[in-house]
Amino acid sequence: MARITAGIGCSHIPALGVAADLGKAAEPYWAPAFAGFDFTRAWACAAKPDVVILVYNDHASAFDMKVIPTFAIGCGDRYAPADEGWGPRPVPVVEGHPDLAWHIAQSLILDEFDMTIINEMDVDHGLTVPLTMIFGQPATWPVKVIPLAVNVVTYPPPTGNRCWALGEAITRAVASFPEDLNVQIWGTGGMSHQLQGPRAGLINADWDQRFLDRLSGGSDELRRIPHIEYLRETGSEGIEMVMWLIMRGALGRRAREIHRHYHVPASNTALGHIILEPVKD
Amino acid sequence: MSNASDIHAYLAEFDDIPGTRVYTARRARQGYHLNQFAMSLMKPENRARWKADEAGYLADWPLSDDQKAAVLARDYNRLLDLGGNIYFMAKLFSTDGLSFVQAVSTMTGMSVEDYQAMMIAGGRSPEGLRSLADAAARKDA
Repeated sequence: MARITAGIGCSHIPALGVAADLGKAAEPYWAPAFAGFDFTRAWACAAKPDVVILVYNDHASAFDMKVIPTFAIGCGDRYAPADEGWGPRPVPVVEGHPDLAWHIAQSLILDEFDMTIINEMDVDHGLTVPLTMIFGQPATWPVKVIPLAVNVVTYPPPTGNRCWALGEAITRAVASFPEDLNVQIWGTGGMSHQLQGPRAGLINADWDQRFLDRLSGGSDELRRIPHIEYLRETGSEGIEMVMWLIMRGALGRRAREIHRHYHVPASNTALGHIILEPVKD
Repeated sequence: MSNASDIHAYLAEFDDIPGTRVYTARRARQGYHLNQFAMSLMKPENRARWKADEAGYLADWPLSDDQKAAVLARDYNRLLDLGGNIYFMAKLFSTDGLSFVQAVSTMTGMSVEDYQAMMIAGGRSPEGLRSLADAAARKDA
């Protein structure tokens, strides 16, 4: 049977992708941002996941204002890196896992999560930057990827509670897939940042660290954080952290922390990532 | 979660955040064509046409005069007031060759250098910037 073996929460800051693509990762500004991933790259290499369910948001690349799905799952064979206005990132095409993706989509809909199904789309930095940070710069990505796009741009985004519950449903769906697959789930975006208005540049390291603290252990209090708290405390774009709760919900009642890294700044943003494993009761 | 099902209370709280325009349905409706215009700059052939004649390119889009003027002036705070969303406006400043740091700093009243120095020093503190009502109450106290 397929099973979810680990979760990662990870920022998906576009400038990190640019720095990696232009060979600037060793420059003094970027070195501490990339160094925090040394452990994670080795860990991911040893963990050898077959599939990553990668929760992210599209940034006006595949979706514009014409159609705004709250939760959308990629069921296609492959996804090309998007041209976000300066040419596509020079990274490998992302291979999908349509069998597992369709199985999850069908199961979620029967489980009362009304998913949008995507067969064709390009994927932007929200999806490709975490792959770069965690797998480096290989000729092909070492995993199949199931993109799970969440609307966190047009209000209201889904509640944290709904995201957590979706994660729980994803775990049930994965567990009923007959093939023996090692599946990870990544929640991306965040941490604190605001890209607009006179309050731009807001960073709240204390809040971010408390969020990271509360991802492990047996509490599910994070699911009850209202949107207004993310907006006030972590900046208008900090709302992306609700996507981490899909990952956390998928890990079950208890999770333990394997690794954490936090660094300010990467461009306008607080960079954070954490590796979690489910703990059996 | 307590008020998540009361859309009026949910939306009203957003207006209490200093220096921030939350991209609500009202703004999404007001800025629909503005954002779709910006989206059109994803295509290289459109970018070339836009660069050759900005005003002529805008004439094809049903934007208000205010929106057109704010686009031509690259006044991003005004564009957000008029329904622009930052990820869509990014197509506009990317076409100008600006990074997020460069474009975002223009909304803060700081120079790019000062903004970048603030970020390197740990970013803008949320202290005093969480709530307009709280800030006003402190002032009166």
